[in-house]
Amino acid sequence: MLALILSFVLSATSSLYAAGHKYSGPDLSGQKVTISGPWLAPEDGYMREIAGIFEKATGATVEYGGSDSFEQQIVIDIKAGSPPDIAIFPQPGLAANMAALGGLTPLSSGVKNAVLENYAAGQSWVDLATYPDENGNDQFYAIFYKVNVKSLVWYSPDNFSDNGYEVPTTMEDLIALTEKMANDGNTPWCIGLGSGDATGWPATDWMEDIMLRTHDPKVYDMWVSNEMPFNDPRVLEAMDFFGSFALNDKYVNGGSKAVATTDFRDAPNGLFTSPAECMMHRQASFIPAFFPEGVEAGVDYDFFYFPAYSTKDLGKPVLGGGTLFAATNDNKATMEFMEFLLHAEPNEHWMAKGGFLTPHKGADLNAYSSDTFRKLGEILTGATTFRFDGSDLMPGAIGAGSFWTGMVDYTNGKSAKDVADAIQASWDSIK
Amino acid sequence: MTIFSFIAYIVLGVTACISYYHISNYLLDFFTKKVFKKNYNDSAIRAFIFIAPAFIVLLVFILYPVFETVRLSFFDKFGREFVGLDNYIWAINDPQFRRGIINNLGWLLIVPTLSTFFGLIIANLADRIWWGAIAKSIIFMPMAISFVGAGVIWKFVYDYRGPGDEQIGFLNAVVVFFGFEPQAWITIPVWNNLFLMVIMIWIQTGLAMVIFSAALRGVPKEMLEAARIDGASELKIFTSIIVPYLEQTILVIWTIITILVLKIFDIILAMTNGQWQTEVMANLMFDWMFRGGGDSGRGSVFAIVIMIGVVPIMAWNIYKHKQEQKI
Amino acid sequence: MRKNTTSSIISQLILLVFVVVWIIPTFGLFISSFRDKDLLANSGWWTSLTTSQINEIFRTENKDSQYQENGNYIIKGNFFDNIKGKKISSFGITSKNINQFLVGEKAILKNGSEITVFENGDYIWKSQDSFKHKNGKRIFITALSPPKFTIENYKEVLFKEGVGQAFLNTLTVAIPSTIIPLIICSFFAYALSWMRFFGRDTLLAIIIASLVVPLQMSLIPLLSIYNDIGAFFNIGAKSYPGVWMAHTGFGLASTTFLLRNFIKSLPHEMIEAARVDGATHYDIFIKIILPLSVPAFASIFILQFLWVWNDLLVGLVFLDQLPSEIILTAKLRELLGSRGENWEILTTSAFVSMTVPLLIFFLLQRYFIRGLVAGSVKG
Repeated sequence: MLALILSFVLSATSSLYAAGHKYSGPDLSGQKVTISGPWLAPEDGYMREIAGIFEKATGATVEYGGSDSFEQQIVIDIKAGSPPDIAIFPQPGLAANMAALGGLTPLSSGVKNAVLENYAAGQSWVDLATYPDENGNDQFYAIFYKVNVKSLVWYSPDNFSDNGYEVPTTMEDLIALTEKMANDGNTPWCIGLGSGDATGWPATDWMEDIMLRTHDPKVYDMWVSNEMPFNDPRVLEAMDFFGSFALNDKYVNGGSKAVATTDFRDAPNGLFTSPAECMMHRQASFIPAFFPEGVEAGVDYDFFYFPAYSTKDLGKPVLGGGTLFAATNDNKATMEFMEFLLHAEPNEHWMAKGGFLTPHKGADLNAYSSDTFRKLGEILTGATTFRFDGSDLMPGAIGAGSFWTGMVDYTNGKSAKDVADAIQASWDSIK
Repeated sequence: MTIFSFIAYIVLGVTACISYYHISNYLLDFFTKKVFKKNYNDSAIRAFIFIAPAFIVLLVFILYPVFETVRLSFFDKFGREFVGLDNYIWAINDPQFRRGIINNLGWLLIVPTLSTFFGLIIANLADRIWWGAIAKSIIFMPMAISFVGAGVIWKFVYDYRGPGDEQIGFLNAVVVFFGFEPQAWITIPVWNNLFLMVIMIWIQTGLAMVIFSAALRGVPKEMLEAARIDGASELKIFTSIIVPYLEQTILVIWTIITILVLKIFDIILAMTNGQWQTEVMANLMFDWMFRGGGDSGRGSVFAIVIMIGVVPIMAWNIYKHKQEQKI
Repeated sequence: MRKNTTSSIISQLILLVFVVVWIIPTFGLFISSFRDKDLLANSGWWTSLTTSQINEIFRTENKDSQYQENGNYIIKGNFFDNIKGKKISSFGITSKNINQFLVGEKAILKNGSEITVFENGDYIWKSQDSFKHKNGKRIFITALSPPKFTIENYKEVLFKEGVGQAFLNTLTVAIPSTIIPLIICSFFAYALSWMRFFGRDTLLAIIIASLVVPLQMSLIPLLSIYNDIGAFFNIGAKSYPGVWMAHTGFGLASTTFLLRNFIKSLPHEMIEAARVDGATHYDIFIKIILPLSVPAFASIFILQFLWVWNDLLVGLVFLDQLPSEIILTAKLRELLGSRGENWEILTTSAFVSMTVPLLIFFLLQRYFIRGLVAGSVKG
């Protein structure tokens, strides 16, 4: 899986999809593509800009609608048979469910080959987007566009230097730093789990990152597939490790009560207030899109790798995720749009906006908005293990259901054991 | 949507509807009077013309979904395989389902009671005070606000900031002012249900008040005056004359609010989305129907439970209607 | 007499308490929607008439803007960019101590240079050696901000956030969704009251039963029907006519019920006399019933309009969540999610969404109440 990440830094290929090559499509005047997805402001604006490139080149019109309850909305639409032409799934698990319902249209082998060719470690991206259809036959359904790296901690370099803090390179250091910050009277962490219907998911990312840092990746895989029950002591241990930060009123901004009520989009604001409400914020690479207006990468904020234990021989694991575009309609304009996403131009355009990473080998790395994003490459190349967001791979009822709500209950004072038992029970009930 | 197409849309829709009645009745008149030269005034055809659109709508939008839901509750999550009572058995053993039932019962006990009670008191007070009309307008105003709008209003009231920070939520500001710790109100299990109910009471009290206010005008003045001359206190008059007189109205209001509460959904969706143990049937149904791929079988079970919940109310209404017919 | 006055005062007091409790939430929202967004996020609306203290971070200019004067290197500037009214009271140079210095004092940095910040936001930074920093130095200021009200929030919401469009969409949904059921149900109610046909009582019982069917369960079955119809005509399943029909369906039971109560109460001698004269039911309906029912229509119109305007679920399911079709409540919910604690957007949008219902409510209150009462006191 390591190769998958190397993609971010690999150089251009010379194909149609290569850097600098402007997209030019067939004439699709008068045709319309509707897209819906989970992106709201400001990301919906970038999405519309991308759609604008397509509109200009082909004459087709593209409408994008974002919804905070996309996960429910798309199920209603697909079950009733009236989905948008393209759905942007935040999780492969949900896309797989929809494919099993017969709601998605398989993509052509041409598109599949283009992914294999142009995405570094193309095979893994193809595998993550291949699901059984309603008859149980495996089909290739979706293109990953806008991927992210989760194992990051964001901070303000000025706040660190004012207080004389060093960026920690091991988990032991991070724990010690957290303690030191609290002793200095600073609040180490900003944590926010709020996300409308999806409230709770940021805590599942914490869990996954911790699992990868405390146990072998094989344990992680067993956990994600439920070969190891959710209430295994190793999972409880990870949950309590998360709790050692999130449930400690001195360690988290607003106290543990505020964790579940703070919106994940607002949580990082604490890094930029006067005086700083918190020193660190663990969140994926997309989060700068939600930072306050006017803050600058590399100046007002920076990030470091959520470190691994030096005493555990687990290397440097990295957790990632991504959104997938899947078609529900076999019309020409829709399929053309899917292919369009594999060109360098739509990738580079968003790279320049920030909060966007791509496994596309053809995209010009200079397009990234700042060195900060380029630096992500270092974290990725330095990684020895890569795993995809586990909750996204779990069945929807767990990974987008009881796992989320369970973590909310946990931050609200329920014991790790009770939470894990409840999640396992809900998993048993859908088997 | 431009202004033009917006107007065109509206005109088109409404015209289409009116034309149906006009043209069909015109045709009927034309055939009966001009062609057959007979006056089929009571003809079954006219009744059909009058009823057909509404009946079709009723069939499609209410009756069919009810039967479909009953069917789905016996099928698997894709609605393909018959699973018998499995979904119901699962529900009975599901802790969320049981908590949902308890929460719903809480809502049913508290909201109609308090709304009716407050409505009655306010109607009674406002009718005797010169600024009563203004007071009634204010109490009634929340009725005009959407549940989502009410959600924003009350999120703002319940907003929580950590101790030490300045509170911008009104409730926490009051609590801090009196020297207590601020609380994240909507996350405190059991109690948070009450905080959500407050919103519904806030909205529905106006409804109760207005109806009581109209009904109060029917209380015979002589009776009240006679009681006052006898030296009865206002409280006494309220409990022993007004309340018994309004018994019928109280029951009607109770019913209306109970039906609304059984279907309560939007407030919880906007405020907590069922987190922190505030789930009720309608939200659980929505969740199971649509979350993470959805399970129409289990989702339907919740719908059936809501329907069973309203059966007694329904039966009572029909019984009342029958009685009314007899008189 | 004296006893009466006391009891009247007590009554007034109790009522006053109710009124205050009821109005506070909405009033707070109303005030907040006119407040400056920084103030809104940092202090309660009840403080909006007082001067509030705000903490901010600014960066000085970088080395490129330095110049030499009397052997010193100097960087000068103003933090406030011409925004008037704010007054700095103290400032600091590290996040550890944000109000270390009073305004006008000299703060001496580790490298020996001095910074002074003035009340109006001006600052001056002097050093004997040339400046080398690439990024400006952070200065923490504590300022007093006078009460400030603004209509910026409304401009932002109406034009940038797409709420204005959603407003229009909602009107497109609400007007026909109110008129169509009124037309359909008035004929229905008339038939149920004055026409004789087989199964009339059963139909009425079904109507009453339908009053209590939760609409959430109808969503998927209905949308599938829509989809079949849409596929048949080769149009999308989600459209304005579809929403109108859905609202007609969900409002049918209550509208018919209320209207029937009213029409049934009209004097039957009148109708029978017309029948004897040879008028058809259609004539009777148009010429006698309609003019007499105007008050009932008005009240039911308002009720149904409010219900449709405030609906979330139907609009969410039967319309695309695209800017061209999204309704106000759905938009508001979207903002509630994406703008989490951007209270200036939330409060203002919420207020915009309330304008029409409140307007209708205050203008037509009398009818509104009459309609409710007609349906329920009789019940």
